[in-house]
Amino acid sequence: MSQTLTSLLEVSIDFDQSHLFFPKLVVTLLAGMLLLIAVIHRARLVEIVRTRGAGLAFFEENADKFRLFSTVGLIVIYFVSMDYVGQLFPNTGLGFLFCSIAFIAALSLVYVHEVTRSVLLVIACNALIAPLAVWYVLGSLFDITLP
Amino acid sequence: MKRLISGMRLGVCALAAAVAMQAAAELPSNIRVVIGSKSTGGDTYQSSSIVAEALSEKLGVNFKVDATGAPAAFKAVERSRSSDGSTIMVFHDQAYLGVLYGQKGYDDPFANYSIGPTFAINPGNAYLVSKKSPYSSVEQIIDAAGNGETVRVAIQPGGVSEIGYSALKNAVKLKYPGKEGNLTPVNTGSQDSKNQAMFDGLADVINGSVQSNEQYTRLPADDQKAMSFVWLTAREQTIAQANEDGMGKTTRADLLKFVAPNVQVPMAEGQDFTFDKEFFFLYNKDIDPAFVEAIDKALGEIYAEGKIQEMQKKSFFIPNFKPAAEARTYLKEKNDRIADVINAIKG
Amino acid sequence: MDFISLLSPEYFLLAAAGSLVGIIFGAIPGMTATMAVAVCLPLTYSLGLHEGLALLLGLYVGGISGGLVPAILLNIPGTPSSITTTFDGHPMAQRGEAERALKICIVSSLVGGLFSAVILFLFAPLLSDFAIKFSYVEKFLIIFFALTVIASLSSNMLVGIFSGMIGVFLSLIGTYDVGVGGNGEYRLMADFMVPYLEEGFSLLPVLIGLFGLATIFLEAERGAKDEVGEKRIQLTQGTPFKLNVFRGQFVNMLRSSSIGTFVGMLPGIGGSAASVLAYSQQKNFSKDPSKMGKGAPEGLIASESANNALTGGALIPLLSLGIPGDSTTAVLIGAFTLQGLQVGPLFIGENLDTWYSMMIGLVFANLVMFGIMFFAIKHIAKVVMVPKYVLYPIIIMMCVVGAYAINYGIMFDVWTLLIFGLFGYVAQKIGLEIAPLVIGFILGSSAEVYFVKSLESFGTLSIFFTKSPIAIVLWLMIAASVLFSVYLALKARRNSKSRAIEV
Repeated sequence: MSQTLTSLLEVSIDFDQSHLFFPKLVVTLLAGMLLLIAVIHRARLVEIVRTRGAGLAFFEENADKFRLFSTVGLIVIYFVSMDYVGQLFPNTGLGFLFCSIAFIAALSLVYVHEVTRSVLLVIACNALIAPLAVWYVLGSLFDITLP
Repeated sequence: MKRLISGMRLGVCALAAAVAMQAAAELPSNIRVVIGSKSTGGDTYQSSSIVAEALSEKLGVNFKVDATGAPAAFKAVERSRSSDGSTIMVFHDQAYLGVLYGQKGYDDPFANYSIGPTFAINPGNAYLVSKKSPYSSVEQIIDAAGNGETVRVAIQPGGVSEIGYSALKNAVKLKYPGKEGNLTPVNTGSQDSKNQAMFDGLADVINGSVQSNEQYTRLPADDQKAMSFVWLTAREQTIAQANEDGMGKTTRADLLKFVAPNVQVPMAEGQDFTFDKEFFFLYNKDIDPAFVEAIDKALGEIYAEGKIQEMQKKSFFIPNFKPAAEARTYLKEKNDRIADVINAIKG
Repeated sequence: MDFISLLSPEYFLLAAAGSLVGIIFGAIPGMTATMAVAVCLPLTYSLGLHEGLALLLGLYVGGISGGLVPAILLNIPGTPSSITTTFDGHPMAQRGEAERALKICIVSSLVGGLFSAVILFLFAPLLSDFAIKFSYVEKFLIIFFALTVIASLSSNMLVGIFSGMIGVFLSLIGTYDVGVGGNGEYRLMADFMVPYLEEGFSLLPVLIGLFGLATIFLEAERGAKDEVGEKRIQLTQGTPFKLNVFRGQFVNMLRSSSIGTFVGMLPGIGGSAASVLAYSQQKNFSKDPSKMGKGAPEGLIASESANNALTGGALIPLLSLGIPGDSTTAVLIGAFTLQGLQVGPLFIGENLDTWYSMMIGLVFANLVMFGIMFFAIKHIAKVVMVPKYVLYPIIIMMCVVGAYAINYGIMFDVWTLLIFGLFGYVAQKIGLEIAPLVIGFILGSSAEVYFVKSLESFGTLSIFFTKSPIAIVLWLMIAASVLFSVYLALKARRNSKSRAIEV
């Protein structure tokens, strides 16, 4: 009896294949748990299927889709252009500096609700000063690599 | 007349200066040195910083060392933009050992990159045993494996840490053909896990370094952490260049006891295996020849001045400057020699 | 005692400067103590040994402490080890108690830092001999113990554990790193992902993506409105800070500081495990666990005293074994070698002067950290008053700097930020729990290494129980922790049911 128990617990792992052992275990556990969750909440699942997903709203009520998608869009443009401009001036961090100025200005304009002259001034100053300060202090003084 | 001469002199000087400027202008103003290690506490970072500092001073160009790790560093150098020398890499023998051991993420450095100058050696690659171990020399280890005992060696597989192990295995095979399987690897990662493998009794021999294990060798024998060196893979002539004080309280003379020919790991008939961990530059495949020449020349002058050698020796590096072309032939030969050892134990 | 003559005014000035710069680095989301020490390392070439070390120790202490600022004010952990600070810190800030939360954290940080310094000074060699008794098996059990926090942290235990497993899964993507004992093979990725994911997702971009960017997306969806009128956060609102908040928290502080020191001491167990463990233990021992996670000072105390206690703890193996206890002390090794000084088991005995001067530097840096933070808080806390249209773009920019710099200039890390920002946004929508997911991600890869290595070396699952008395003690602690969180969950459910009936 005790012998079978010990042999049950025995696991031999071949070093060459050891990279797959733990991921397999995790994936199995994940699948098992997903099944368990589905079984426990089956009533709700049935309900969702029956109503064809009505009452399931991904976005909040009155979601501000303009601001949400502009944020995602601007970030994508920011990252792509930063890498591109950075390539034009290698190892200077200028790609980061120029693109950050544009990005901060644009995103601030997306987010702001009441545009007044003084708000615009704040946005403009912020868009100029913040990236410049970061670029100078971190990029030049501390010699941190920037795009 | 006098005026004319001085005027001419001025003109010549200006012209010379302009030519000099021209030569300097070919270098990018900011040069990023990516290294094959992610650690800023390790030997690659340290040796690179020393040489980058010296080059910055010499050329008036900002050399900045970035510890990106090997895969990212290779990628950065490969980019076509890097052919002007704005991004260059520093690495050591791992660059080709990774290929020889079939590691993922390594491409043949001789075909895909341009090999730059070598500049330093880390002579510290060592093998150690516990002070309580029945083995106290490489010879005993080889004989033990030959006589059927299993000897477990803790290494980090796939590179510099494994090469000494491969050589030992090859030595067992030469002396006791067919018995090399008794030398088995314990695959661990960082230095602390290799030490730990010894403390846990999972390994009989560990790969280590003079720098990080020297103090362990001076512990009293009843301390469970106590170890002793059995082999330094470096060449005798390499250790001979170290400062006389050696490392810690282990002098150069003490260290020399653990290198060939005092410790023999046969590689072939009448030939001992040695291995120096050498640092060198890697450039983009289509690197501007003027850049290669500029760095070679600058390093040549730096090493002629002799200050950098002091710096390197203080940090337990051995100065080792070879211009790009020479380095390439030399490393290619070294690569082929090691490939023989690795192939010999494969079958 | 001639080491006192070595301590020049510059020595103290550098320690203080280090502390200040460290705090700033720690306070910027995405910048870490490790990075602060790494970028200042070249400066120590030109300084003497003692001055250089003073600067670096200051940076280390300051950097770890600074992480609490964005954790509380912005809900973004400034360093991975301040993740548990966000759980209670941010709810407090939203109640208008930012200043109080910051002050509680700073006091706890000081206590944790000093506690670990004392332990380091008195017991370093002794403890390092204890630390090497922890092999793969015991280390796995510690990680497993830390993972049990997921059970007590999640609002729905099943979903919480599921989220944690997803975190573990994500951490496994990439190469099984030879540097930690793996075999260097790829897994869990398609061929086209290899050039980007060879080394997997980096922790820091994942963390600030999940916490920082995801929050900004959620806010953007709500229109990024600044609260006006009565709803606007007032700094003076809520309970003011009084020292009596620490009454009855002595045991908590002591326990959390000990956990922090201990975890710091074990090489190869990430620092973030310290605050996670301390937090979950406080939750298990708390008089009213239901308040934790909703702005309870005790949670802050546990988290911050543990993560500052890391500093002294991580120096123990560094100075008495020559092995770094965490990523920051790994960089410190570089500083020693640059000065031609070798760390190892004989370091303390052979370099008494340096040892004493380091201890003074460590204590002094903690005091300076406390001084700077305590008096700067009034101004720091005003960050919550900055309008969102100014604040959010700056946060995104800073996250980019941090993500790009963490691995010294890799663009994919910046993209990781966006990937996990979107993932975090979607995950919250479909009901996954972010905190357990992050903890799974942080601990996943070490759990793998120690688990697989244990089995590889011993070949049987029973080794986890029979390896050593330490393993058995750890199992008892794990069992107690799990049982207790199950009990708490059941109690909470019963309470909510009875309340529902009453209504």
